[in-house]
Amino acid sequence: MRTKTQRIAVLLAALLGVAACSSTQSTSTGSSAAVESPVRGGEITVLEDAGFSGAWPTGLDPATNTTGGANLPQMSSIYGGLFALTANDDGSNAKVEPNQAESYELLDGGRTLKIKIREGIKFTDGTPFDAEAVKFNFERALKSTCSCAPRWPLVEKDPVTTEGTHTVVVKFAQPNAAVINSFPVSNVNWIASPTALQEMGEDKFRVTPVGAGPFKVVSNKMSSELVLERNPDYFKQGLPYLDKITFKAIGGDQAAFQALLAGQAHAYEGMSTVPLLEQAQNNDKLTVTLQPPTSPYVIQLNTKAPPFDNEKARQAIYYATNFDAIAKGLFKEAYPVSQSFTAPGGLFYQQTVPGYRTYDLEKAKQLVQEIGGLKVELGTLSAYVAKQVMTALQTQWKEAGIEVNITDHQLSTLVEQFNSGKWQAMLQTAGAWDPAAGVGVAFRFQSTSPFSGVKDPKVDELMTKAASTIDAAEREQIYTELGQYISDKAYAPFGLAFAPANVAVKGVYGPGLTTKIPPLVVNSAVLWDKVWRSQ
Amino acid sequence: MGQGLEESVTLAVERRNRNVMTSLLASPSLRLVGKRLLMAVPITIGVSILTFWVLNLIPGSAAQQLLGAEATPEQIRALEEQMGLNRPAYIRYLDWLGGAVQGDLGRSYVSGQPVADQLGERLVVSAELVGLALVCSLALAVPVALLAAYRPNRLFDRISMFVSVTGLSIANYVLALVLVLVFAVQLAMFPAIGYVPFAENPVENLRSMALPAAAIAFPLFCFYTRFLRGDLVDQMQGQDYIVTAQAKGIGPWQVLLRHAFRNSSFGLITVVGLNLSTLIGATVIIESIFAIPGLGQLMLQAINTRDVMVVQACVIVFAVVTVLANLVTDLLYAVLDPRIRYGSS
Amino acid sequence: MAAVDASSASAVLDAAPRARRAWARKLGLYIPAGLVGFVMVACFIGPLVLPIPAPVGGNVLDSGLPAFSPGHLLGTDPNGNDIFSRILHGGRASLIVTIAVNVLGLAVGGLLGALSAYIGGAVDTVIMRVLDVLIAFPSLVLTLAVAQSLGPSLTNTILALAFFSVPAVARVARAATLSLRELPFMTAAELAGTPWWRMLLRHIAPNIAPQLITFAMLGMGIVIVIEGALSFLGLGIPAPNPSWGNMISEGQASLSATPGLVIWPSLALFITVLAFNLLGEALRTQWSVR
Repeated sequence: MRTKTQRIAVLLAALLGVAACSSTQSTSTGSSAAVESPVRGGEITVLEDAGFSGAWPTGLDPATNTTGGANLPQMSSIYGGLFALTANDDGSNAKVEPNQAESYELLDGGRTLKIKIREGIKFTDGTPFDAEAVKFNFERALKSTCSCAPRWPLVEKDPVTTEGTHTVVVKFAQPNAAVINSFPVSNVNWIASPTALQEMGEDKFRVTPVGAGPFKVVSNKMSSELVLERNPDYFKQGLPYLDKITFKAIGGDQAAFQALLAGQAHAYEGMSTVPLLEQAQNNDKLTVTLQPPTSPYVIQLNTKAPPFDNEKARQAIYYATNFDAIAKGLFKEAYPVSQSFTAPGGLFYQQTVPGYRTYDLEKAKQLVQEIGGLKVELGTLSAYVAKQVMTALQTQWKEAGIEVNITDHQLSTLVEQFNSGKWQAMLQTAGAWDPAAGVGVAFRFQSTSPFSGVKDPKVDELMTKAASTIDAAEREQIYTELGQYISDKAYAPFGLAFAPANVAVKGVYGPGLTTKIPPLVVNSAVLWDKVWRSQ
Repeated sequence: MGQGLEESVTLAVERRNRNVMTSLLASPSLRLVGKRLLMAVPITIGVSILTFWVLNLIPGSAAQQLLGAEATPEQIRALEEQMGLNRPAYIRYLDWLGGAVQGDLGRSYVSGQPVADQLGERLVVSAELVGLALVCSLALAVPVALLAAYRPNRLFDRISMFVSVTGLSIANYVLALVLVLVFAVQLAMFPAIGYVPFAENPVENLRSMALPAAAIAFPLFCFYTRFLRGDLVDQMQGQDYIVTAQAKGIGPWQVLLRHAFRNSSFGLITVVGLNLSTLIGATVIIESIFAIPGLGQLMLQAINTRDVMVVQACVIVFAVVTVLANLVTDLLYAVLDPRIRYGSS
Repeated sequence: MAAVDASSASAVLDAAPRARRAWARKLGLYIPAGLVGFVMVACFIGPLVLPIPAPVGGNVLDSGLPAFSPGHLLGTDPNGNDIFSRILHGGRASLIVTIAVNVLGLAVGGLLGALSAYIGGAVDTVIMRVLDVLIAFPSLVLTLAVAQSLGPSLTNTILALAFFSVPAVARVARAATLSLRELPFMTAAELAGTPWWRMLLRHIAPNIAPQLITFAMLGMGIVIVIEGALSFLGLGIPAPNPSWGNMISEGQASLSATPGLVIWPSLALFITVLAFNLLGEALRTQWSVR
């Protein structure tokens, strides 16, 4: 099968003459900038994994979309966004910049946020995108039951007010350093037309929403297909390039890969199956972009109950775990191994933590003997890659004399395990581009979080301090201290930082799609208004 | 004048229909149909209670599923209250039943849209998929089985057995992926994904259904062929009425078709009827691979998000379809076997 | 039995060709039986005897080795486990599941269906309606329910699969018994005052057995494949233990890149299904010409 594909590819290349050489995009890790200049027009079909971003069962209203964090592609195409994460083509210099907002100010030591909105933006129903509209949306979004609703520490009275027609003021009870960095994954980033909401009613609005983004909705089959067409009144001159985008849900990487090859789709977001990635990288018809990772794997240990209330047991796990081997065997060394909750693509990256207990089988065996044996229940959320990592860990720990029973959980049983406190070890991911953004690190380590295995006031203290420190250098220092502390106390070993890749057919280009933008939490946010397709 | 002619034709037709009607009403077949249709109601209710109960046994609620792994217990509780999920199970069931009986299948917990709408558009798609698969598989299975049973253990029989066994040992999702690799990627004869409604473009609709229907039909074809062929051979070799027919000088094909096949069709019909509700299981994975917006997909998503309203509605649809299928099966028994038609029950 | 009359007539007429046919029939039985036997021995005894690595606990650094690598006849899977070993061990799990499910189905379903048809009347109606409800109940709901509440395990998988197999077999048995019931020898036996259990054992069972066995033999392969589909949905043999079904369902995730993960277990499955089918054939031929 492989040679036949290669033969066809060679034939195509010969037939098209040297045309294949025109785009000098390398098909592996780094991708150079597009050599041609953007062309206006054309349509593309984008595939999304039905288990993640391809599922939007609750609709596309920012205040009621419970899967908003996963539906970044759909939401940002329709609503644009007050802020957006941009980066250089190679993923460096990533920063959150105002998009529909014009500028912002963090005053009063981070307790007051003033956002100035660009003038002249209109929703696709013609109504003005002004401070009143934004205020309306903020208030709705904050009350939302989505986990993408920002957890802002707001003041009691009138936390959200407007100043003039184009400035919104938000007042926090304590400094909120990560507020801007969290915007692109929070539902407060997406501003819906209040007029349309009131006219259509909430039920209809969530099916055919109205925003001020680069595209507007033509049809929406929930969790199946979303058809969008260009917004002619988009506030950026000359954008979007594309006439039409269709988002389709598809079941799995293999099916998506085949659809791309058959020419039925032009892009697929979030491919995580490593052998397929390799195959795609070797295929001349496709461009694979590995995104800079921002969330490393973490083996959460429940320090509140046996066996991991015993520090020696935790240390044994550290010594018995060999993530370097896993990175090599399962991921072909495409991803680096972290020793803290930060990763190369994110902020405050700390490559090594002094004193981190790296793989040492002898020490592990010794510790296990000292504590008289160790029996562990290891679980993870059911996903192809996570299961393989968990199986590898089981084998590694067994060599150290640790008895391991692995279970892959469905969401409901996972939550049950955490809530009942019966869990012992869980393989999860931790961190985000900004460790305080989204659910971030606090989710896994703060004593108040039901999903944390750690109950340590020092950890809480450090995290709160970091979240309320504006100065970046100071924050970095705090996070370094936190990483060190977690390592010293052997609370949770970290593993490799993995980011799903984006695959596109040759001739389709776009920021975040064929260039690197670090994922804020899980998936990279593609800037759809700048995606184009050569004719 | 034309009107007069029309009138008299109508009257004649009415008269004829009345005669047919009276003879039909007397027939046990119609009474069978009537009884079966009446049975459909308690069966459907039984199925809906069973489903509701089973769904309740699964841990987690719609709220939890929707909010995902990062939701706090308070958020979940708040959403549950909002959705009315904290009421006791039997109240929620009765609530649903009350609405369903009046034709209101309720609104999806998850999308807020009326269930009937979602169901409607998806049902058409899945029905076409399953229908095509069934028709194609049977249309091929019957002649192949007949030909194979005509000369058992000869070349054609052996080849058909080989092919059937291959089909039965391939998982249908693997077959689907292989079909796409061969026909969509390499040969580009059919699309790899997507669905075009029949009303929009009949040709494209059939093209987009070709591979998914083939993936479902092929294992079915293999199963039906094996089953029917086995039964036919059994009949041909064993039964004395076959020997009698042969002794009377009736040609082998006639024997096969008019005698053996008639009896074997019982088994085949039973098996086809049984297959129906399990076919939905097959469609789930196929629909997901081919990005077809069908009922199987809807149901899987609904179960995973504990969207009870949608699951109940889907289950009702399947129950009704299965009951109807069994009804047709029984009617066909009666048609094919006069002993049963005029015998007991 | 009804079948007896037909062949005794031809037996008298034609001795020599019959002997040849008998010999061919014996061969037709021994070859598939041998094949089934071979599969059983390979999967149940092979792992104990052959020097193959364990099916689990492979070194992740040996991930994805191709076939014919030293020490790994068929290569390794992404976790470094030997595929050949996983096929043998997986075969054990798959065969246990399929045999258990089919035996349960035949025993419980066959009995239920035959009884129901034989007794007839109200009993038949009630049993059939209950089975109707079970058949109309979508398997998907139950599968996911079991998977997510009880969790995956060998026993749960067998029970879930048997749950679907019993009504199906019952219906087939009932249909077969129904057409049998009207035959003269049945009426004769009834008139002679044969008790119902004897009717069942000596008259009904042997006559409906061929059809049921064919059904069951076809079912063998299907159950293994469905078990794999269950792995998709969270039920089935729990990882990292192999079964052909879960090897196939895991392998399809990277089918185009690593086809071996799917091809080898599919091949093993093919041989097994073929063997069972041929065996079913031979058994049926054997029984129908007694």
